[in-house]
Amino acid sequence: MANSTKDPALRAGERLVELDVRTQDVEINMGPQHPATHGVLRVLLRADGEILTGAQSHLGYLHRCAEKIGEKVDWLQYLPYTDRYDYLSAMNNNLAYSLAVEKLLGVEAPERAQFIRVILAELNRIASHLVAVGTYGMDIGAFTPFFYALRERELLLDIFEKICGARLTYSYIRPGGLMNDAPAGWLEQVKAFTELFDKKWGEYWDLLVDSKIFVERTANVGVVSEELALAWGCSGPMLRGSGVDWDLRRDAPHLVYDRLDFEVIVGRGYRGTVGDCFDRNYVRMYEMVQSNRMIRQCLEQIEDGEVQHPDVGLLLRPAPGEAYVGIENPRGELGHYLVSDGSKIARRLRVRGPSFCNLAVAEHLLPGCMLADAAAIIGSVDIVIGETDR
Amino acid sequence: MSAALPPAAAAPQGNGLTELLGGLLPDGLPFWALALTGAVVSFAIIFAFIAVLAMFATWLERKVAGHIQVRYGPMRTGAWHGWAQALADGVKLLIKEDLVLTSADKPLFKLAPMVVLSTALAAFVALPFGPNAIVADLDLGIYFIIAISSITTFGVIMAGWGSNNKWSLYGAMREAAQVASYEIPLGLSLMMPVMYFGSLSLNHAGAMQSGWYGMHWYVFSDAFWIAIPSFALFFTAALAETKRAPFDLPESESELVAGFHTEYSGIRFAFFFMEEYAAMYLMSAVGTALWFGAWNFPGLSLLEGTVLHAPLAVAAFVTKSLLLVFVMMWVRWTVPRIRIDQVMALGYKYLTPLCLLMILLAASWEWVKAIAFGA
Amino acid sequence: MEVLFEAARDAAAALQAAGFEVELHQPNLPVYAPEGESKRLAKKHKEEDPVHEWRGDPYLALKDRSRLLELCRFLRDELGYEVLMDATAVDFDAEDEHLWGVYQFLSVGRKRRLSLKTFIPKADCRVDSVTAVYPAADWHEREASEMFGVEYLGHPDPRHILLPDDWVGHPLRKDYQYPDEYHGISCK
Repeated sequence: MANSTKDPALRAGERLVELDVRTQDVEINMGPQHPATHGVLRVLLRADGEILTGAQSHLGYLHRCAEKIGEKVDWLQYLPYTDRYDYLSAMNNNLAYSLAVEKLLGVEAPERAQFIRVILAELNRIASHLVAVGTYGMDIGAFTPFFYALRERELLLDIFEKICGARLTYSYIRPGGLMNDAPAGWLEQVKAFTELFDKKWGEYWDLLVDSKIFVERTANVGVVSEELALAWGCSGPMLRGSGVDWDLRRDAPHLVYDRLDFEVIVGRGYRGTVGDCFDRNYVRMYEMVQSNRMIRQCLEQIEDGEVQHPDVGLLLRPAPGEAYVGIENPRGELGHYLVSDGSKIARRLRVRGPSFCNLAVAEHLLPGCMLADAAAIIGSVDIVIGETDR
Repeated sequence: MSAALPPAAAAPQGNGLTELLGGLLPDGLPFWALALTGAVVSFAIIFAFIAVLAMFATWLERKVAGHIQVRYGPMRTGAWHGWAQALADGVKLLIKEDLVLTSADKPLFKLAPMVVLSTALAAFVALPFGPNAIVADLDLGIYFIIAISSITTFGVIMAGWGSNNKWSLYGAMREAAQVASYEIPLGLSLMMPVMYFGSLSLNHAGAMQSGWYGMHWYVFSDAFWIAIPSFALFFTAALAETKRAPFDLPESESELVAGFHTEYSGIRFAFFFMEEYAAMYLMSAVGTALWFGAWNFPGLSLLEGTVLHAPLAVAAFVTKSLLLVFVMMWVRWTVPRIRIDQVMALGYKYLTPLCLLMILLAASWEWVKAIAFGA
Repeated sequence: MEVLFEAARDAAAALQAAGFEVELHQPNLPVYAPEGESKRLAKKHKEEDPVHEWRGDPYLALKDRSRLLELCRFLRDELGYEVLMDATAVDFDAEDEHLWGVYQFLSVGRKRRLSLKTFIPKADCRVDSVTAVYPAADWHEREASEMFGVEYLGHPDPRHILLPDDWVGHPLRKDYQYPDEYHGISCK
């Protein structure tokens, strides 16, 4: 089967023929209102028929000045804003910000809080990957897997609701620990979920990922080589999908990750080339299994205790200084670079969003692909516009 | 041909509707009046059928989609399982503002839905709903249906061009490429039953399958080993021809927004919608008529001559066709969408050669039978 | 933490050996704050300004910004920092004469991070773009450019990225004045 992206030489040859008959490229706006751009991303495409010849991303439709706000509100007041960058993994965002502030404060959360943080971060990773895989199915044209994925995500949102009262924007993980301890019965609910999820995971695999058409649509499409991924600062499943064995949970241990036994899933070209859309999706699929494993280990190891550092109250006054802390969000490395002058308000609060950096490489993958691949590639990067635009 | 026709169903002559009308109308009317009345009445019947069918099929589609997607689908409108949902949607679409873009090519834009729907209606003329329950029993029924239904493409191209929207244009161009390519395997895959029945008339094909107390369907006949793969080929081509997933590229939501009908709303959109379901039903009905025994089912021949015979035959035909429509929906809500180059490759590189091979096999089988049994 | 200090020390030594004028800055407060530290610091904050005690990541400071691109190439090719994680600017104080250009590097192979700071005078707000070495800097520099008014020399595509194309001013500068209105939309 002639693959549009496989052979650039062939593409160039075809293009020459078409230039000979004087065709004119079409410029089309994919977005800001388009079903496949997951929000208000606008990609200006140039296309020669079905084949793309150029692409340019336009961001900023959802810019909410998070970094400017960070210089106006105090350290704890900023926490709810972190929920809003990548609203599909707000727990991880809270965690990333809290760890960065804790570094300046010079404190570490108590052990029980760390376990609960890991449980929540991994649950949120599952929830986020469920949406990623489900909506990716929709990008490819399969609507049903999305509903299966959301069925389990609903249970996760119930778990989050039980612990903090919110279903999407939690603000639960705070500098110094947690908002409150987990309510009675919560850990059992998590345990029940982990057992259920193991049974349900195969359904997404069978229904979507292992389907022949899905493989045809994703294998060898949008290949990000290892060099490209590193040069463009990709992270998360995007980087691991390209065959780079890098996971901050293992390689820069924080919290209690070094006490857990888990594998880092790396793309190996399971159905095509290393770093194609299938590999990225494969990484996401199996990361869910690994996250589930981690949660189960946490549930075994967790003990009673405090969940908030006694010195950290509501008004935070971190020491002067600057710190960059990046953690492994579902979409990649979410970094916070904080500059403090010792007052109750940040001097500079820089957010390095993984979607932002992963998306930067996407527009370089599009030329030479088919129009339908644009949806597949942008979907496989798994962006959340709240984070690219902040 | 192979199976001897049971005498009761042998070679149906004339058609039920004209006979009925001839009986009802006063004698001595000129021919044109009779023909006009016939046309109006048959149009009314077909249009009503398609309208009801489209409503039922939308409701069914939503219920099927719902149940496949671990939810219920419409449950509130109407008392039982949201049965009135499609009716409410129809009313809503009727009273919506008729939007025509200022930048659109207005004549084309307005004409497109009409062309699309009217061709779908016209194709129903040659469809037998029961023995003799056919508007026009054409000798070239299958040929007529294929020819007429491919005119739909013109309507779609008009819609895509007239909308003055690049996404619509993409949808239209994909439709043109796809439908033109899949006409070939579709037409070829129909040749296997045609060779078996020795006729292009669907009515005749239905009558031929009434043996064995109504179970002498093509898929159960001596040529079943040709019938089953040829039906698979036909069904795949029919999915592509009717723009259903996984071949729904002309309106692929995640790529082309809504494809050729992006700019349509209100009743004009409803026309496209009706056409889609009419085309699905049409293809399913052709499949039923040629492979699954048309209106025949076990025991039907026992009722021959009673008043129940005709309604039950029609009911059997419609039910079987709707089962195939259901399969189309099932496929749509299960599989992802294919890319345009893969669609083309599938049509030209796989389906067409396979169809040619099947024709060879079918022809050889008829030849073997002719030599062996001297039929 | 230890890894960070070690990485910064090693990189500083290697860079100095290669002839780059970099200074290693290390925090002088303990990693974990002793009890009562924040009160002491707050008190000190009132009395003396600025405070010279600080916590956080060690960083390298490059005084001569014209050698930035060269230094980045050295970091990538010789020291194995193959990823540029983040590139941004900081306006610490409206009174300051310099903006900071802050770069975060990551070495996947050696599992190390490095923080680099360079100083861009506000009067001559230009610095070399590092996109030639790290393409990842492309969008980060566009963002820093619109937010701080830094001109990145040699940037392939210096358009606004998050702000509208016709936005006036650089919102993250400390002396930024909010506009009264934007295309007739009140901003107050």
